[in-house]
Amino acid sequence: MSWAAHQFEIYAVQSHLPKKMRGKVSFWAIFLGDFTPDFLSKFWVYGFTINGTRYGADVPHQWHRGFPGMGFTHTLFFGAILSLLIWGWKKNRAFTIGYLLGYAAHALTDINDSVGVLLLFPFLFLNFSSETWAYAATIDGGRYLDAAAYYSSLGLAMDVFWLIVVLFSWRVLTREHWRTMVVPADARIWAWFGRWLPERGLLALYRATFFYGLCRMISWSAWARLFADPQKYGEFDVTSRGFPMDLSWTGPYWLEARSLPHVNPWIAYPAALTLLALLYFTISKLWEPMGRRDRSGFDAVESGSADDQRAASDV
Amino acid sequence: MGAEEWFWYLAAAISYILLGIWHKWLLNWFVGPVWLVAFVVVGPWLTDRLNITNRSPVGDGIENGRRGRGTQNES
Repeated sequence: MSWAAHQFEIYAVQSHLPKKMRGKVSFWAIFLGDFTPDFLSKFWVYGFTINGTRYGADVPHQWHRGFPGMGFTHTLFFGAILSLLIWGWKKNRAFTIGYLLGYAAHALTDINDSVGVLLLFPFLFLNFSSETWAYAATIDGGRYLDAAAYYSSLGLAMDVFWLIVVLFSWRVLTREHWRTMVVPADARIWAWFGRWLPERGLLALYRATFFYGLCRMISWSAWARLFADPQKYGEFDVTSRGFPMDLSWTGPYWLEARSLPHVNPWIAYPAALTLLALLYFTISKLWEPMGRRDRSGFDAVESGSADDQRAASDV
Repeated sequence: MGAEEWFWYLAAAISYILLGIWHKWLLNWFVGPVWLVAFVVVGPWLTDRLNITNRSPVGDGIENGRRGRGTQNES
């Protein structure tokens, strides 16, 4: 699984929208779409203990990414179903497209660990995984061992990669971008938050996911490298304090990578990139037809005569 | 971003990172964003109330709900 990469990719998606969609796709929808797969599945992966009894998945990686299990939550198919439901309910193009893009970003990023995702579910029940780093969620280790393995492997490189992508698009974090590209697409939501927060608070709220991703990346990395006691989380071939860094493929070496039946790892990236291209092609084709059926009143914001325009100006 | 705003973002980040190393329960989707927003909104309001800055606390925004003079002048 990926950690801070999921926070950074929200801004990466926001800053790399096709030209005709800039300023018109909901940031909150991208956020929710990216958040949904783990929200639906992860609570049971680590489990929780009450009065000495542990509640949670018997085989965490099977539950998280497999089928049977909740693996379908990490598929483009399920993301598309949820997006269709949102469209059927609200007829809101900005939110539907944003949600689908956020969902896809999460599902595609997760092909990188050793378990991967059911990319072609329900047509193929095999996982697609590039095996870049070891999936490490276990019953005994919980999220501590998971974090230690992730931030001692190429998982850290993945977080840094997405961080660099966002930093190269640094304007996405500026006040001007927020005012001109983010607020208009979510005018009512920002106006609602604006009842309680001044503008600097609203801007901080927009930047908060990036902030959280950056801070958790540094915190967990520092803990894994400098402070963690490996023997507390299992029997590892490690003598020093802190988990050793290992940037080899499917690392770190000191932990057995979990896996599920999967396709050849060499086709994971081509398949994911092909699906990403198909997704962008599809939403580009659907953009105008969806705009004609949109009932959100967003076009009124652009033309200047609806409640949304008032909401946008209130922020 | 002005110097004061940078200060509050940095203060939020450094405190959150350091506390997060030893208190992992802080590192979640809810606390992280709330932490930042709290620092950026409450921090300047508090320093104004304590007269640490020269800026007038009147119209800082937090008591006005949507926006105040202080927030209008930040960009």
